Formats: sequence, structure tokens, C-alpha cells
Amino acid sequence: MEFYIKVLEITCLHTILVLGAYLMTGLTGLFSLGQGGFVSIGAYTASIAYLHFNVPFPMAILMAVLMGSAVGFVIGIPTLRLHRDYFLLVTFGFGEMVRAALLHLAQLTGGALGIAGIPKVVDLPMILVSILFITFLIYNLKRSRFGRNCIAIRDDELAASLMGINVYSHKMKVFILSSAITSYGGALYAFLIMFIEPNLFNWLESAKLIIITFVGGVNSITGAIIASVVYYSFGEFFRFVDVWRDVLLALAVLFVTIFRPGGIFGSWELSPKNLLRWRVKKD
Amino acid sequence: MELNILLQQIINGISLGGVYALEAVGFGIIFNILKFSNFSHSGVVAITAYFGFFISRYIYTHFLVTLIITTLAGGLIGVIIEKLIFRPIRLKGAPLTLFLVNSITAAMLVQQFFAATLGDDYYPYPVFMKQTSINIGNLTISKTYTLMLIISGLVLLLLTYVLKRTKVGIALRAASTDIRTPSLMGVNIDFVISVAFFIAGVLGGITGYLLGMTYSVDPFIGSMILKGIIAAIIGGMGSLGGGVIAGLLLGGAECLLIAEIGSSLTQIVIYSGIFVLLLIRPEGIAGKRYIIKA
Repeated sequence: MEFYIKVLEITCLHTILVLGAYLMTGLTGLFSLGQGGFVSIGAYTASIAYLHFNVPFPMAILMAVLMGSAVGFVIGIPTLRLHRDYFLLVTFGFGEMVRAALLHLAQLTGGALGIAGIPKVVDLPMILVSILFITFLIYNLKRSRFGRNCIAIRDDELAASLMGINVYSHKMKVFILSSAITSYGGALYAFLIMFIEPNLFNWLESAKLIIITFVGGVNSITGAIIASVVYYSFGEFFRFVDVWRDVLLALAVLFVTIFRPGGIFGSWELSPKNLLRWRVKKD
Repeated sequence: MELNILLQQIINGISLGGVYALEAVGFGIIFNILKFSNFSHSGVVAITAYFGFFISRYIYTHFLVTLIITTLAGGLIGVIIEKLIFRPIRLKGAPLTLFLVNSITAAMLVQQFFAATLGDDYYPYPVFMKQTSINIGNLTISKTYTLMLIISGLVLLLLTYVLKRTKVGIALRAASTDIRTPSLMGVNIDFVISVAFFIAGVLGGITGYLLGMTYSVDPFIGSMILKGIIAAIIGGMGSLGGGVIAGLLLGGAECLLIAEIGSSLTQIVIYSGIFVLLLIRPEGIAGKRYIIKA
């Protein structure tokens, strides 16, 4: 039983990170390879505050979230005005920079040895409540005026800006929110795994977060959550195929994108209304 | 730093920069036509690095012959990747993000596949030359690095010729400006895209071979391509010449910085440099400002 709880905890934690990535990619079409940087920032900020400065746990989490948002803002200033691919590559560079910085600031971060001895404060109910809250937030954000503006930006940036939508400010808000969620996930991660190190999340892990949202369906929160739960729990259950699991994921993604470009779930959402009717809307 | 060490590092840096330049051009050629960042280029590099290793180790150990075979194989792999994973979504008119997703997925597929099958070992190329370095005065110049520089230079010259003078090259450049109009003019755009992927694959093949020869082959050799991608951005997306200059600059800067301040600080300095550069000059060194058209 304990094993299943462990698996569930790790799976759900990754789902928080996927939701953070979903918010950004699903709403504005931004594609970031630097999510790992925010995970690390969240994890390190929270655990350093907790261990070195005796900040209480909730405050440490809050500090991690604030730190993540602030960094997101700074990174966003030059990059969000640029063409999408620049954003991708700058965020990639950002992830690598965070990693290098963590390795370099060894007095504070422990360098390559990482930080051990973080107490396990986070438990399953807490993560589940977080997921529920974040899903609720994203679901409503998506249906709000702001969210619909963002989707317009995703589908056609030029048309959206001609309709009077401030593309830059919308992207910035979404990016900051996504950074905040991701750092929150990172902070929880530190207090769940009890050990963090600079190589926690490389660019491939960051890319996976976004790839998973595409498998599930970039229009469907349900799809993103289900795809993430399946992928990460599969990985925990089948530890012996660890390396092959990414090969399988990659093949699955290619099949899905080629045969069903909208993702497995398209834009279908799990809701009482849709469950009663039980039909999958075509894109 | 002493003068001869400085010179030494500059020479090493330029040789490394030559490889970055090859990567940047191979990356830029696809970006010009299809307007997406082709991460699958790193897959080509990884596959050819292994391919070159197995050919030169077990079948025929001759530098030039194996290099040419690997190069052609690289071109073929590039075309296969295009036909298998980009053509289907291109025909469906998928958004650009999906191309990006597929290219990153392909890179991941190749890397993890090699990690799963050949990841436990690393594979050094056979030694092609008896004497590994040349001495000029106080300077020691590695033969591998010199070779790298010469080959990169030759390939880039050849590519310039193909792009400027041949019919396919002109079609390629026309497609870079606007992909729809040439197809109305009777250019077979499907073929042109295949050629672009072939050229990119050839460049990837050379890169893979040179990187494998200089370092040793491991599953993560493909991630070295990321430096090339960075060079392509600094140079300005869509400007191949800018990519070459940026590649050389990046290689030189990296070697000097590593010698002076160590490798982890180098990463920080280089990425902050890029950050600042994009803040001041968003279109890169030689790029044109990217305008979204309706």
C-alpha cells in the first residue's frame, strides 16, 4: 500500500508541473524548455529558506512561488516580444543557466552534492488539493474573457492583436502564472523527495512536460492530466524499463501527432454535462 | 594569460566554432523554409556519430572514405525523418508548434534509444593519424582540430556555391522567402523540402562524425547541437552567414572563458550574454526582423 501511495504522490506532483506547462502552451502556445529552471528555483528557494533561515514551511513555499514569478517576469521582459522560437531557445538557455548557477554557488546550494536532509512535509492529500485547486483555476481561466483572448493569441497572434488584444501583456501574465505554478510544484517536490540536486530537471524533462500536454490534447485539461498520470505512474511501476519508457513516450507522441494532430482527447473535457452526452467533439 | 596560451585557445575555439557553424547552418536551412526550430537535427548528429564509429571501427578504417559514407548516410537520415514525421503533419496543415513538438520528440527518441541500447559504454573512434599534433613555435595545434576547421570551411564554401549557383539552390532560397509562391511557379516544393532536409542531414552527418572523432560517442552527443542552435539565434534566424559568424564567435568565447574562469561560470556568462544581446538586438547579429504576415 505504501508503495502505491508513493507512486501516486510522485505522479500527482508531476501532474502539477504538467498543469503549469499546460497553462502556458495550451493557452498562449508558448513553448518553454526552461520549466526545469523554475522547478529548481522553487525547490532550492523553499529548501534553503527552510533549512538555512528557519522559515516556516508555508512561508518557504510562498517564498518559492514569489521567487519563481519574479524570475519569470525578468525572463519574460526581453523574450515575450520575440518570435516564438527565440522564446523557446532563451528559456532553454535559462534552464541551463540555472543549473550552472546552482553548481557554481556551492556554499549555498551544496553544488553537485545537492541538498539532503529536507524533512518530508508534503503528503498525498496536500498534493491532491493543490491539483484540484490548480485545475479549477486553469479551467475557469480558460473560460474567462482573459483565457479566450489567450486562445485567440495562440491560434493567430496577428489577428488577435488586430482585435485589440494586448499580446505582450497577456503572454506575460500567463508566463508569470505558469512560472508560479511550476515553482510551487518544485517546492513541493523538495519536501516530498527530501533530496534535491542541480540535475533534477534537464531540458529533456522540461520538454516532456509540454510533449505530454500535446499527447493528451492541447485543448483539453482532462487530456493533459490523464496523459500525465498514465505516463508518470507507468514509469514508477515499471522501473526496469526506465530508459525504454521515454522511447515509448516518443513513439506514442509521434503516432498521436501524425494520426490525430489535436491530441488523444481533442478538446473534450470531463464534466457532468459531457459525461451525460458522452460524445467526443471533433476538432 | 600568456600570449601563446591565448593564441592556443583562440585556435581551439575557432575549430570548435567551425563545428558550431556547421550545426547552425544545418539548423538554419530548415528554419528558413519551414519556420520551426528543428531539434531533430540533434538526432541526425547522434545517429551519424554512432554510424561513423561502427563503420570506421569494424568495416573500413580510412578517414576520408568513412567521412563521406557517414555524410551521405546523414543526408539520407535527414530525408527519412522528414518523410516519416514532418511530411504527414505538413500535409495536414498542422500548426508550427506541432512541428516543434515532433522535432523535439524525435530528438528525445534517438537519444533515449541509444541510452537504452548502447548507453553503458562509450565508443572512441579509431586513431586515424599517427602524429596527433603539429608544433609551430610554442604552439601545439591538434591535428583533429585543424581537420575540423578545414572540413567545416570547405563544406560551407561548397554549400554557398550550391545555394547561389545551382537551380536547386535558387529554388531553396526562393522557398525560404515564401513557400507558397514558388509552388505556383512550378517548383516542386515537396522535392525542395526534401533537398533542404538532405543538405541539413549532410551537415549533421559531418558534425556527428567530427564530434564523435574529437570526443567519444555517447547517447548525449546530440545535445551538443544546442550550441549550434544558440549560434543560429545569435547570428539571426534565417541568416546563414550570421550563423557562421556567431558559431565562430561562440566557439572562441567558450574556449577562452573556460580557460579563464572555469566551465560552470562560462555557461552563466554565455547565456547571460545571449540574454542581453536579445534585449538589445532581438533579430540577432545579421538577421532581419521577423515579421508575422497574415
